[in-house]
Amino acid sequence: MSAMNSGGISAGGGGSRGGRSWHSTTSVSASGKRILKEMADLNMDPPSDCFAGPKGDNLYHWVATIIGPPGTPYQGGIYFLDITFPSDYPFKPPKVVFKTRIYHCNVDTAGTISLDVLKDGWSPALTISKVLLAIRSIFTAPDPYNPVVPGISRLYLADRAKHDELAAEWTLRFASNDVSIVEMNYMLLIISSVSSSWFALK
Amino acid sequence: MVINESNPEKSPPKEPEASENGENGEKIESMFSPGFRSVAAMAGWDEEAILIASLVVEDTPDRDVKQKKRSDLLFKTPPSNSRRKRRAQKRSPVSVAVPVLDLGEEAETSRKDSEKKMVELKTNADEEKKTGERELTASSSTLPCIDRLREELSCAICLEICFEPSTTSCGHSFCKKCLRSAAEKCGKRCPKCRQLISNGRSCTVNTVLWNTIQLLFPQEIEARKAAAKSSDSGETDRKSPPPPRGSSRYNVRNQSIQALNSPEDERLQSTRRVGSTYREVRNQVVGPPGISSRIDEVNVRRRRLRRGVPSQDEDAALALRLQREEFMEAFRGPNEQYNSSVPLATENLRAMASRAMNIRIRGRPS
Repeated sequence: MSAMNSGGISAGGGGSRGGRSWHSTTSVSASGKRILKEMADLNMDPPSDCFAGPKGDNLYHWVATIIGPPGTPYQGGIYFLDITFPSDYPFKPPKVVFKTRIYHCNVDTAGTISLDVLKDGWSPALTISKVLLAIRSIFTAPDPYNPVVPGISRLYLADRAKHDELAAEWTLRFASNDVSIVEMNYMLLIISSVSSSWFALK
Repeated sequence: MVINESNPEKSPPKEPEASENGENGEKIESMFSPGFRSVAAMAGWDEEAILIASLVVEDTPDRDVKQKKRSDLLFKTPPSNSRRKRRAQKRSPVSVAVPVLDLGEEAETSRKDSEKKMVELKTNADEEKKTGERELTASSSTLPCIDRLREELSCAICLEICFEPSTTSCGHSFCKKCLRSAAEKCGKRCPKCRQLISNGRSCTVNTVLWNTIQLLFPQEIEARKAAAKSSDSGETDRKSPPPPRGSSRYNVRNQSIQALNSPEDERLQSTRRVGSTYREVRNQVVGPPGISSRIDEVNVRRRRLRRGVPSQDEDAALALRLQREEFMEAFRGPNEQYNSSVPLATENLRAMASRAMNIRIRGRPS
């Protein structure tokens, strides 16, 4: 694992896709090192029902999937998320956005998540794995008192059964059709291949 | 030093003695290169000593004159990590005691043991680099709970082994640098429990923890130190490649070999160690180019130490002797010309010498 640190990366900040330029420099930016380390840890010990890895050749741009936990209206859904790491990660939180539509009071139509941990509650001791677990926890326990979609939170508080019915419908419609399964397999393939290519570099 | 000066061509060959010993001698011949044997002979070792020395340095199987000559690169090799140094120090007393062993059955058995080991090493010789790696992994996996320890001693911010750990008032430890940047960028709260950090600015290193980490993960810490150094001193330093791991191993081996020679050399070795640590310290400040001159400085200092500072009286005596010689030189001509007046000339000479002495004594500040 220590050899991983010697892997050169195109250490562009979040969002910039600087092509494949593997410099053989011995030093990698602190954020790059930390992200590589997290990737290794995720590969070694992935959290339950979550997957994450770099999208392409940019270490700062990841894709993640969360499987809707059983016992919730989101059961059977596969949710894709985009993760963008800031260049001063881990001192600033990563930006995590839902790519799959979801009926949830804490996720708006653009996919933005209102999660304390991703804003003021961020701590450099948190990792992507913990963030994914936190996101997964809002599937089971939405926070209707800090909503981004007030209509959904109102319904959640007033008529839970109706809310769950609607959420399940959305899950079926947006997160669990066949295309999504194929897409998911494809994505997982990409994630695993990209991850392994990162490790092959070391 | 000894090895630097030793010239294999000049040294008396060891072969006749070895062949007398028959089987053992042949084995030694097959095990060691002639260069090594001649160097060993120069150093005054017998076969037992060589074999036992090989036992002492068993983890470095390849013995070559070329590598011997690399000993003059010792000063250019990086500081070996602390565990190695300790190991070398642990070994040296054993190796010093070795020459006593070369009599009786005990030596016989130990010789056989060492032969066995040598044979094993012979088979491993081509995998030398791999054995190095293995040794590293072996040393880090000596503890069964090493993985848990690694996790426990990792900094939650950089996810690596804590480098110069600093402990917060709430009892959580992070790298000093990480904690400082966390306090700067994320507010003065503990990244783990979000308690307020009172001493966010003046974070101090938890020495016990830091020493423990250095003992447990010497390789990682060494690598990080090197990385920190290269990033500090910029591009020029980064270009110089990190010296091979083998060199530091070799360093240890040399130390134990030389320690075998004699107490005299042991002392020399220790001064060399001091010299190299001195260089390390200076190196951190100045960088590589100044090393050679610094070594000279150290050498001079060491020589002076060994000889002892000459006293003023010794100085005066030397000066007097030189003056006498000068006078003799000056009077040789006339002496040859006037052979008859030799007694007179000697008389003159004596007078002048005594006068010179008087002048000298008067001139000396008392």
